[in-house]
Amino acid sequence: MTANPTENDLRVIAEQVWSSYLDVDGSKPLLPVPAAKVVVDVTGSVSVTGAWRGHVLVGCSDGASRNAAAALLGIELDEVTDDDVADALGELANIIGGNVKSLLPEPCALSLPHVHVEGEAGRYPASTEVCKLNGTWLEESVTVSVLESTADFAEASAT
Amino acid sequence: MKILIADDSRVMRQIVTRTLRQAGYDGHDLVEAADGQEALDKTMAEKPDLVLSDWNMPHLTGVEVLRQLRANGVQVPFGFVTSEGTPEMRQAAAAAGALFLVTKPFTADTFRDALDSILG
Repeated sequence: MTANPTENDLRVIAEQVWSSYLDVDGSKPLLPVPAAKVVVDVTGSVSVTGAWRGHVLVGCSDGASRNAAAALLGIELDEVTDDDVADALGELANIIGGNVKSLLPEPCALSLPHVHVEGEAGRYPASTEVCKLNGTWLEESVTVSVLESTADFAEASAT
Repeated sequence: MKILIADDSRVMRQIVTRTLRQAGYDGHDLVEAADGQEALDKTMAEKPDLVLSDWNMPHLTGVEVLRQLRANGVQVPFGFVTSEGTPEMRQAAAAAGALFLVTKPFTADTFRDALDSILG
């Protein structure tokens, strides 16, 4: 039996990402908020396959996704393009997913990131939520979640 | 020195470039590659003095790039900058000839620790 990642694990990983890239001077932290207060417009995700199967998702409101792209690229907010947002969310999912993977049983492989709009609801029906971090950053929503694929999905895929 | 930065994310290539500058490594000639095949081709063609490469990229992974370079007799100093740093990956990186593996997220201090013996 392997312990799954926890919300606290996600908080520690997110703090490392924020302090390295998104809140270098410590003035713009990711703050926890109740789940009911978050809005997700864009989601970056990576899939994990192998000894553990599932997904790591980074969801953002439109405003948070544009703030993230501007901060990561070192450009002004009004210079951010849709491609920048997709690249930024994908890379955040990749970084956070890679760190989550280090908590999972080996051997596992991490996919290349995918980014989609319309939020995350309904995109991963054959999975259960393992843990989730709901936050606000610069007054915009950010979520990080880990979903584990269900056994039924694995069996269905094999047929 | 000429440094090749290989990552399929433009955002990450920008962060690596910025972090090199923050770590004090200014004035180097930077070349970018957006996937593993481009990293291999540009390393062969442009002969950089150092390669900083992501691991998980389209077409060829970073460690496949390194193995092909070594198989072709190219001994360029090569380090990984990647979101994963499992013991197995570190072993594979070292066995293939990598000098270091820096995990994301990283800081200027992390870069200095990894790169000072090469760029310092």
